[in-house]
Parts: sequence; structure tokens; C-alpha cells
Amino acid sequence: MKALREFVDKQKPHFEKGGRFEKLHSTFEAFETFLFVPNTVTNTGAHIRDAIDMKRTMIIVVLALIPPLLFGIWNVGYQHFLSNGMAPDFWPMVGFGLLKVLPLIVVSYITGLAIEFAFAQSRGHEVNEGFLVTGMLIPLVMPPDVPLWMVAVATAFAVIIGKEVFGGTGMNILNPALTARAFLFFAYPSEMSGDRVWIAEKADAYSGATPLGHLLVLDADKLPSDWAMFSGLIPGSIGETSTIAILLGAIVLIATGIGSFRIMASVVTGGLVMGLLFNLWGANAYMDIPAYQHLIMGGFAFGTVYMATDPVSASQTNRGKLIYGFLIGLIAVLIRVFNPAYPEGMMLSILLMNVFAPLIDHYVVQSNIKKRLKRSKAGTAKV
Amino acid sequence: MQEIFNIFVKSIFVDNMVFAYFLGMCSYLAVSKTVNTSVGLGLAVIFVLGITVPVDYLLNDYILKPGALAWLDPEFKDVDLSFLSFILFIAIIASMVQLVEMVVEKFSPALYSSLGIFLPLIAVNCAILGGSLFMQEREYQSLAQATSFGLGSGVGWFLAIVGIAAIREKIRYSNVPKPLRGLGITFIITGLMGIAFMSFLGIKL
Repeated sequence: MKALREFVDKQKPHFEKGGRFEKLHSTFEAFETFLFVPNTVTNTGAHIRDAIDMKRTMIIVVLALIPPLLFGIWNVGYQHFLSNGMAPDFWPMVGFGLLKVLPLIVVSYITGLAIEFAFAQSRGHEVNEGFLVTGMLIPLVMPPDVPLWMVAVATAFAVIIGKEVFGGTGMNILNPALTARAFLFFAYPSEMSGDRVWIAEKADAYSGATPLGHLLVLDADKLPSDWAMFSGLIPGSIGETSTIAILLGAIVLIATGIGSFRIMASVVTGGLVMGLLFNLWGANAYMDIPAYQHLIMGGFAFGTVYMATDPVSASQTNRGKLIYGFLIGLIAVLIRVFNPAYPEGMMLSILLMNVFAPLIDHYVVQSNIKKRLKRSKAGTAKV
Repeated sequence: MQEIFNIFVKSIFVDNMVFAYFLGMCSYLAVSKTVNTSVGLGLAVIFVLGITVPVDYLLNDYILKPGALAWLDPEFKDVDLSFLSFILFIAIIASMVQLVEMVVEKFSPALYSSLGIFLPLIAVNCAILGGSLFMQEREYQSLAQATSFGLGSGVGWFLAIVGIAAIREKIRYSNVPKPLRGLGITFIITGLMGIAFMSFLGIKL
């Protein structure tokens, strides 16, 4: 460790102002702070003392993403062999899954980080770690058979249009990973939806529809058992299938205080409320399914834990978070049941509420201002 | 009743004036710098659309439509005045906007000055004329349907402009690349909001 510190310190002068590699300063800075906690401190204004900074925050989110990732790798293999009528051991399944999933991760990281570094160099700001999380989320929300060039295009779109034009990490208005997915969803619908894409190299005779796909055509009888949907033994995007693995991640995020439990709880409440309302209405087979099933199907759990809680694009105020989360859950179930064009509503409802999050915050803040003004007026009147 | 409600919801979300048809963009882009001003303009648009669409509906139904004049005299049943619809619709819209302008100037001078030229320009806002023309093209069956369409379109436009105004307030201190500051980034935001609003596309009501 000490040798490394000395090595970094020795290289430092080359990258400072006037050094040989002055232009590569932000690249050097990124690697230095990746290895060591920076010792720079804020000089003016109020600031909070805390050991956690953005790099540490992002690494914890990546850690929380590991359970769905590992399960996803295994499930890609499992679904593939199941569709072909084979039942190999554990390792061949993992091997096949790795073969499918690793290239996606590599492509997404290389494309995204290359663009991030290029922007940081040319605009002279620091390289931020936000992309470590985005680059992991993008492969996890893709179907396993998506072509690699599409992942690259979507990542580039999300990083440039979704994030860098707003000034980089922390400034974006939409969640970049969801922007990437929505871009592909609308640009190449045949590769992102339907019954064909959710199982890698599927045998033709085998039905590859997701539970939501069955429900879209009102085939509620074909729904897998609750346990299968809860544990994740169903076709779907790589990381979204297993609610158990996602719950593990949620525990990490809530325990460390990085993911907002307010948002998670209110999204779940919103989904349940809408599901129950549909139960009361009961106009077709889709409306009749138990409300809790909405939570374990499709991307609901994944979106709740990893996407809706994105601290940048979510509401910032506590009361705003409750409204924001509740509406996400509500609209997600609404789109699922009402909109025949899309089987899954989670992605679009999160994007929609990302758009309105600043508005919610604005009104929460305004109402607080009004309340306090009133209180202070009442206080002075008494005195 | 069900039908009227469906038209209202549909014109807010599914057929949103801004995100589905990209109408009314000029004032949408120009007046969306702060939430308070955009709320004012949004309310004005709701009011104008809510009045002009039903008035134009009556005009269309009793005067302009092919055979609409038959109520005067049966021998007019072949008369088709629909070539006059643009000019008459615009006349109605302009007079309504004049009314709104006088009301706003009287009751809220601050809002009046912050809206500036864009308040009278509602008269040539394509969302307003678009509302009347959509009403004519879609052949709504009753005055109530036309009113709910007008109000719904207005509310949809209101949501769009208030939403983007809040976003623009939020990114005021963002380090946006120089060439994109101002209108450039606003167009990009509008596109991204359009993607989010596509969640309602395809809902049949």
C-alpha cells in the first residue's frame, strides 16, 4: 500500500499544471482517488464531516447489485438449457450465462467510461464514478440476447444525451440506465420485447413469454407459480427476475442508508394500492390477479430498489420522495394493465416521475416556506 | 358521461399537445424559465382552450359544417362554409385572448409584465388553433365532449410547461456545455420528456 502511495506521489508532478501530461490531469485524478481517499477539504461554507464520498457511495451500490447479477448469470444459463430440454449441472449453466452476460458488461463499461473520460478531459472536470453504477445497471436491464452493438449505442446515447449535456454526474434529469433502455425499447422494439428475446438462444418450440407477456394477452392461467416468480426462475431481463436477490441488495442499500427506504416503501405501497383498486374493478383476468403478484413480476422489484432510488433523478425532499414513489408504483401497474402496447410499465413510470420530480420538490419547498412564514407571523403576533 | 371523462384523460396524457403533437412550442420554450410564470401562462392556456373549443364547436356545428345551415332554411342544406373555418376560429381565439389579457392586466400586473409579449401571442399559439381544428377533424358528438377535449388539452399543456419549468429551475446551476445553454438544452429536455410521456402512447380509451 505504501509503495503504491509513493508511486502515485512520484507521478503526480507530471500531471499537475506545467507538467508533461497536464492535459491528462482529470484521468490521473480519477485513478488516484480511486485508490486513495482524497485529502482535499472544503474551505468555505458549511460542510458535513463524513468518511463517505461519491466513490464509496457508488461502490456500495455496485456491491448491492452483485446478488441480482450472480443470479442473473445463472438464470440465463438455466433458461437456455431448460428451453432446449437439457438439464446440465450447475457449472455449465453458469458458464453459459457468463458467456452471455460478461460481454454485455464489458461493452457497456468500455463505451461509457471512454465517453466519460473524453468529456472530462475536454471539459476539464473530474471523472465521476456515477458510471460505475450505470454501467452495471445497463446490462442488468437488457434481455440476454441483445446484440452488443445495440448496448454500445444505447450506452453512448444515455451517457451523452442523458447525462453529459447536462454537465455530468449529478446533473442529469432522467436515470441514465433507464434512458439507455428506453432508447433501445423505442428504437429497436423487436429486440427488446416480445416472446423471443428473453431466453438466450431459445429453442423455437419453447414458449419464452414472460409472466407479463402472458398477462398481456390475458392468459392468467399460464402464469408461473408465485414461488417461481419470487425466486426468479422465469425468463426476463438479466437482473430483474429474482425478487430474493433484489431483496438482498435492498437490505444492503437500506442498511447503509444509500438507497432511500421512503422511496422503496412508497413505490411498493403505490403498486399494491393500484393492484387492489383493479381487484375491486375486476373487468378482466388481468385486473383479477392478486395485487402482490405485481410486485414479484417483471421489473417492479428491480426498478423499486435500484432505479427509483437513484438520488440524482428522484425527488430530494422527504415528503416529495413519498409522493414520487407512490406515483411510480401506481402508474407502473396502471400502464401494465391498461396499455396494450407495453407489457411492462416500470421503466416508463420511473422515467415519467423523474420528469416530474423537480416539480414535486418545488411545491414541497414552497409549502414549507408558506408554513414557516405563517408560524413566524403567529409567533410575532403573540409577543 | 364515461365518454366525456375518457376524452378528458386522453387529451391530457395520450394525445398531449406538446409531447404527442409538438404544438405550442414557442411559448412553451420561451416562458418556461420559472415555475410561477409558467403556471400563469398554463392557466391562461387552459382558460382560452376551455372557452374557444366549445365556442368553435357551436360555430362549426351550426354555421360551417356542410349542411349546417339547414336549421335556417331547408334550401341551405347543400351549403358548405367550412372554407371559412380558419379565419373564424382565429377571430374567436383572438377575442378570447384579448379578454384574458385584460383580466390578467387588471388583477395581476406582476404576472402580466412577466408574461410580456407571450400573453397576446397565445392568439397565434398553434396549440389553441390546433385544439379547434382537432375538434373539427375528430367530429366530437356533443358540446360537452368538445369542452372536455378543450379543457383536457389545456391541462396537458399546463402539465408540460410546469414540468419543464421545474426542470429548468433545477438545472440553472448545472455546468451545461456553452453551445447548448438556453434553448439547446431545453430542446433536449423536451425530447427526453417526450420519451417519458410515451408511456401513455397506445392506451385505448
